[in-house]
Amino acid sequence: MTVLSENVTTGRSRPDFETFFVRYGLFLLVLAAFLLFAWLRPTFISAGNINDMLRSASIAAIMFLGLTWIIAAGEIDVSFMSVAALANMIVAGLVAAGYGWPLACLGGLLAGVVFGLINGGLVAGFKLPALVITIATGGLAGSIAAAIGLGTSISLSSTGFVGSVLHANIGIVPLITVVVAVVYGLSYVIQEHLTFGHYLYAMEQNRAAVVEAGVPVNRILFLLYILSGTVSAIAGILLTADLSSGQPYIGSSYFIDGLTAVLLGGMALKYGKPNVIGTLAAVLLLAALLSGAALLGWTDSQRQIVRGLLLLFGVAVVVWARRKNRAHI
Amino acid sequence: MTDTFKLPPVVLRLAAFVGLLAVIAAVFQFFAPAYLSNGNLHALLRHMSVNGLAAIGLTFVIVVRQFDLSFPGVASLGAMTLGFLLATGYSLSASIAGGVAIGLLAGIINGTAIAYLRLPDIVTTIATGGVAIGLSYFYSNGTSISENFFMSGILDLNDAKILTFDMPVVILACAAVAAGLILHASRFGRSFYATGENRVSAHFSGIRVKAYVLAAFGLCGAMACLAITLLVASSGAANVSAGSQLLMPAFAAVYLGAALFGAPSIPATLAGTLLMSAMLNGFTLLAIPYYYSDAIVSTVLIGAIAIFDPKLTATLGNLLRGRTAR
Repeated sequence: MTVLSENVTTGRSRPDFETFFVRYGLFLLVLAAFLLFAWLRPTFISAGNINDMLRSASIAAIMFLGLTWIIAAGEIDVSFMSVAALANMIVAGLVAAGYGWPLACLGGLLAGVVFGLINGGLVAGFKLPALVITIATGGLAGSIAAAIGLGTSISLSSTGFVGSVLHANIGIVPLITVVVAVVYGLSYVIQEHLTFGHYLYAMEQNRAAVVEAGVPVNRILFLLYILSGTVSAIAGILLTADLSSGQPYIGSSYFIDGLTAVLLGGMALKYGKPNVIGTLAAVLLLAALLSGAALLGWTDSQRQIVRGLLLLFGVAVVVWARRKNRAHI
Repeated sequence: MTDTFKLPPVVLRLAAFVGLLAVIAAVFQFFAPAYLSNGNLHALLRHMSVNGLAAIGLTFVIVVRQFDLSFPGVASLGAMTLGFLLATGYSLSASIAGGVAIGLLAGIINGTAIAYLRLPDIVTTIATGGVAIGLSYFYSNGTSISENFFMSGILDLNDAKILTFDMPVVILACAAVAAGLILHASRFGRSFYATGENRVSAHFSGIRVKAYVLAAFGLCGAMACLAITLLVASSGAANVSAGSQLLMPAFAAVYLGAALFGAPSIPATLAGTLLMSAMLNGFTLLAIPYYYSDAIVSTVLIGAIAIFDPKLTATLGNLLRGRTAR
């Protein structure tokens, strides 16, 4: 894809600029957002705010890792945020009931794996439509999450070892951010330089051809859903410590964020193919938007509209850029 | 109901539907003796009419093989628009028309983006749904609106009766007949199905494919807002989160109906809605807390899709057919 686009764009200066804009526009947007908010509200770049932003961005980045690869492989998962909410409530429920944090975390993780297995089994195993199945499993997870707290949140008095890990800092950078950076670095290598990653891109292009080439597509898809369930659960566990409570309806705020991050991130570098670096950049953008909007006193609904428009804009740019490329080919 | 299906298996499918309904009714009647009482049946049908209207709109989108995830958000926006118009003193019909027009507009925006600008359906509708929810906060900063509701007569939409039938049920019946005529007794309906089956061959058969996709999304938005109007009428207040409870039951109704009758259609959707409402109403009657309803709906939805899926049905043939017949 990249090679082709370079062939196409040589010899013309305008498309060159457009190509550059599509490939690196997201990074410019992140930079612009940071500069704008820092200019409007200097507290935006204070150490405390940067620290908070990085921490919440790290949790979101963990949650969206599995989703990035699932969408890169041409499937969809809209249950990730409900699985996170379920893990969040299970941990809170178990801790409140007197079980220790380690056991509670295992419980939350188990829920993530179970929902990953259910999604993977139904979508990859039985080949059922991914969107409706994950709507349903997401509803199931959300419903169980609400049932654990009997419809309300569970507040916790201590945040246990998860809390101390979450709030550990290296300078102004939270430890968790360093961990996320390393994980995303590894994921980048896996997606861009190993066969597994190339299978992901190939599956999105032409599933049947990849099957004919002898790639165990269903096994990969199955693994992706388990990965998505697991990372969502980890994010949910971290959220329990971050909020020192279990919030059954926390998922809804991550739903549009997740899809925006992955699809906007897909715009960067790879012409609409979700990739981990793009996701990371988009998560930073969304975290900056959240924090900046709070400092500027925007209401939640205004931020939601901006986010929705951002998602529409990202999708439109991706479709436009891809069609341009395809037309030239 | 059987008119649209000319194949003999429809008798079996109809029998399966009636059997399923009878089993549900018998089980709930056993545990909650008030289940088949006159009052509860009225409540059940009123509940069904809200979900049924939203599901009828969604049916068109599913028939053209697209997805619409924006209708809950659009419905919230429609509810708030309706509430705002009523509170500022517009007449009932003007307010309802305003709410439905907002839904139609949102649907047309979706349809234009998806059919003409060729954006991917799922992501686009998620984004427009998000924007719609955000916009719905603008009328009252997110608080619910109920001024003027009593005076305007919107409550009569819920309470009035025509020949022992409640008003919502009459509205659903009218909408269902109209939608059924369009989808099953006109060339437009054939074109909707053709667009869904094979877009390229439909295009070469002289069908304006993009216009039909646009129409499906427009209908879905308008019907979602009509459904929310009934919900607003029954609760007596317009709420920004009103639409969120439409998503799962609508998808479940369409897929459950399609599972029972072999393909998505208006009668199948109505049957699916009736089954869903019969179950949800029963669980409410048994005093099962509201947060379990999503779990029930999603379990039914997963089951319905599994049965709907021809590959799975073929593989697990006998086992699943046994389950359907129950």
